[in-house]
Amino acid sequence: MVKYSYYPGNVARQSSYEVEDTIQPLCKTLGIELFEIVGYNSDGGNIIKQGNKDLQLTLNARNIALAEKNGHHIITACASAQGILHEALETFRNDPIALANANTVLSKTCGITAKVDEITTSHLLHVLVDEIGLDKVEDAVINPLNMDVACYYGPHMQRAGACGGDDAWNPNYMEKLIMALGGRPVEYKSKTSSVGNPSLLSLGDSVMKMTARVLNDAKKAGAQIIVSACTQSHSNLDSYQGKAGRVANKDTNIPAVNLTEIIAFALGHFPDRFAQLKTRALLIGS
Amino acid sequence: MPTVAKVWIEEDCITCDACQDILPEVFEVTDDTSFIKAEVREDGSFDRNTGFSAIKNEFRSEFSELIEEAADACPVEIIKFEYEAGAEAATEEVAPAAEEAVAPVAIEAVAGADDGVLAPVMAGDRSLAIFFGSQTGNAAGLAEKTAKMAVNYGLEPTVIDMDGYDPAAFSSHKRVLIITSTWGEGEMPDNADALWNATVASNPPLSNVHFSVCAIGDTSYDEFCKAGLDWDEKFKALGATCIEDIKLCDVDFEPPWLEWAPMALSKIACVDSSGTFHEELLEAMIAFGAGEEEEADVGDFTPGQIVQADLSITMRIFRYNPIMAQSGYDTVAVALPGHASLEDALVAIKREVDGSLTFRSGSIAGQDPLTGIKANGRILPADTTRICDVVSDGDTLTIEPVPGYDVVKDLMVSYDRYDSVRAESKPWMEADPRQGERLISGAAMGTMTSAEATYLHTLADVGSLQLVNAMSDTYDVDEEYTGPGIALQRWVRSQDPRSGSAHVKQMFELMQRKGGVWDEADISSIQRHGIDGAQAADSLYAARARLLAEYKFTGRSGRLVKNYSRSVKLSGNVNETTLYRSVLGPLGLGSNIMNGVSLRMMLGFTRNGGPIMRGFQGMLVPPAGIGKIPNMFNGKVANHHEVVAIFNELDSRF
Repeated sequence: MVKYSYYPGNVARQSSYEVEDTIQPLCKTLGIELFEIVGYNSDGGNIIKQGNKDLQLTLNARNIALAEKNGHHIITACASAQGILHEALETFRNDPIALANANTVLSKTCGITAKVDEITTSHLLHVLVDEIGLDKVEDAVINPLNMDVACYYGPHMQRAGACGGDDAWNPNYMEKLIMALGGRPVEYKSKTSSVGNPSLLSLGDSVMKMTARVLNDAKKAGAQIIVSACTQSHSNLDSYQGKAGRVANKDTNIPAVNLTEIIAFALGHFPDRFAQLKTRALLIGS
Repeated sequence: MPTVAKVWIEEDCITCDACQDILPEVFEVTDDTSFIKAEVREDGSFDRNTGFSAIKNEFRSEFSELIEEAADACPVEIIKFEYEAGAEAATEEVAPAAEEAVAPVAIEAVAGADDGVLAPVMAGDRSLAIFFGSQTGNAAGLAEKTAKMAVNYGLEPTVIDMDGYDPAAFSSHKRVLIITSTWGEGEMPDNADALWNATVASNPPLSNVHFSVCAIGDTSYDEFCKAGLDWDEKFKALGATCIEDIKLCDVDFEPPWLEWAPMALSKIACVDSSGTFHEELLEAMIAFGAGEEEEADVGDFTPGQIVQADLSITMRIFRYNPIMAQSGYDTVAVALPGHASLEDALVAIKREVDGSLTFRSGSIAGQDPLTGIKANGRILPADTTRICDVVSDGDTLTIEPVPGYDVVKDLMVSYDRYDSVRAESKPWMEADPRQGERLISGAAMGTMTSAEATYLHTLADVGSLQLVNAMSDTYDVDEEYTGPGIALQRWVRSQDPRSGSAHVKQMFELMQRKGGVWDEADISSIQRHGIDGAQAADSLYAARARLLAEYKFTGRSGRLVKNYSRSVKLSGNVNETTLYRSVLGPLGLGSNIMNGVSLRMMLGFTRNGGPIMRGFQGMLVPPAGIGKIPNMFNGKVANHHEVVAIFNELDSRF
């Protein structure tokens, strides 16, 4: 059994409960034991950072210190959360003054400090490919996907050191995983482009155009569904896809699901939801 | 001083006139090639002298030096010559039956033999026979390149045309390399056919021969590389020792040849003059051949490390023809040294493949901010980026114009958008007097300390502001957005202690309003672009923090940061319901309803058949807003008071 401290991110236990529904059973199936980070807080979503960089860093230091108490490395299913956590760890490791400042506040307010010397943070995708192994995933498949799948990574974790052994600029881990799950990955060029999620509520047309670009590229490449490794960006890709299509005047109609959902479906969990997804893909997919 | 006895021109002359300019008495360049003049030849013919007619005696001493100079100057190295027999530098080990066909390439002095561990194999006979069977000249070309490389291993190579060779003479060689193409449906090339038939008929014993074969073919034919495979099998059957496995090369034959040649030469160079292979010396021979034993530093400095790994890659290059209004991609397979720059690669393709390829070329004075391209998704300066830093051996390198700017042709973009916005934004110095300082003219002059100057330089220490703009995923979808490169300049000027207060205020206003720093939808898309991207992102975050303080969290972006932070402080987590309501306001929420966003949220599109009630709860439980969040208020995280305390400690505004 592989053990990790689980950081749900900002939305998996709020607006995107489908992620929480699916990550728990899929991890059990694949032998990953998730430990709660008791009392974890928001990572700031790179939005608090806009007002106060030190505040976001200290909030992340608290999460890191709590995970260190668990004694396990951190796993998350959100690319945005992975990017923010990784950046915080890198900042603390390269800037002892920043770590000392954060620990001063943590010590005063929470009675804990972060060490950051050994702990790592990983996205579920990289744990599955680098640690669990795709052969094991493949062996566990009960309902092969049998669909043309576009993989969306987003930009947040696509930087050196934050994406495991994957290529930051031309990633293919998700494509390999989709193949192991019995799906057919399609290549399209905007899979690491931003959909502008941090500005979803504050900017209008440009975010919709960025969202439409990704969805339309995926559709043009022949995808039946798009799978997002970023829980936050999924909101753009799914809830806003109709609006995005109208603003950008592009065809954006395609089922969008979270990575945890598609893995869980292939492993035999929630067969009713999977059946509905396949129906939707047949009806509105390309 | 040896004198040249014969000179001839091989195929593929590019008619550059260099030889004629150097020695018009001997060379005359026609429309297609260069000829050896009749006046200087024994046979009196006027052609390329492929019959190897000798130069008349009376001209030999007079023209020898200039013939060598012309051969050296030939850019495609097709001028070949042979010294008089018995001359000091002439090759001595010409195969007995190949006098008429040998192209003598081993005119350079043999590399100094190592006196140390390699001494057992460096002494005595070091001859190497390189046979080529060639129909179009490719195999012959590789044979000559192999011969040049062989000198580095202390070998004395002779390139031998198979045409007219006596198979009985094979056994006179201890070391043999065969480079041959395959013709038609698995047939020998014309120049090798007779030798093959004679060898099959006579079956000469080759027990004292060490050999290796490099075969060129085309995988689209059924009998791929059959000629090479036939020679390989035949030599083995005749008792020869295969020292390196046969290498089968497809139409792009140079990369596999480059894999084969150094290893075959290293091994065959470990065969001593008695015909014994010294495997224990192989490692030392590989190092010797690669030149690793040479002194690296000359003079009083140590040169930087040079990464020379050759890369065989496929390049996909964006092309745009503005006249035809057509665009697409050209695909070219290339082999290049890994340390070459992306611009070097483009220059090579322009020179060798398509002279119409258009791109911006850098200056010799260092990085040129305008040479930017998009290489495998990364925004990079072409002139100072090494190929090996972008792509690995065997991979595909896709090169496109930088996004956000109008494409003029192929990879060349117009930076007018950047230039015009920069002029409007006035990011230059407009000073207030500091400490009473004024110029002689009476104009105000600002001052600052060296620490302040260093800080300012750090804020915008990027190689190209134009490319920083292109790093943004927002820049090419929002025409009103002035871009992060412009924002950086405004931010620096606003932080400059010499700037006048009115100018600082103007910079703030430009950053705050439409087109300014808040129009960047996702700073992460910039941040991941290496050091420049990270620096630009840091400055953008700093600028936003300053603007929030200056303008009291006004505007949608200000409300987003304020309410997001408050949401986290209130519960430890984000509450998107309250965010939607407070940031979007009634009009924004109405827009979401009209555009179907709210409907998608409620009807469970996002949950793949999950309980629809979760979506409806958002409407049913007053005073909830419309959104994916069923709860108006989040449950508080464990030890929530710690989160509140952190906020109170670091930022009491929330």
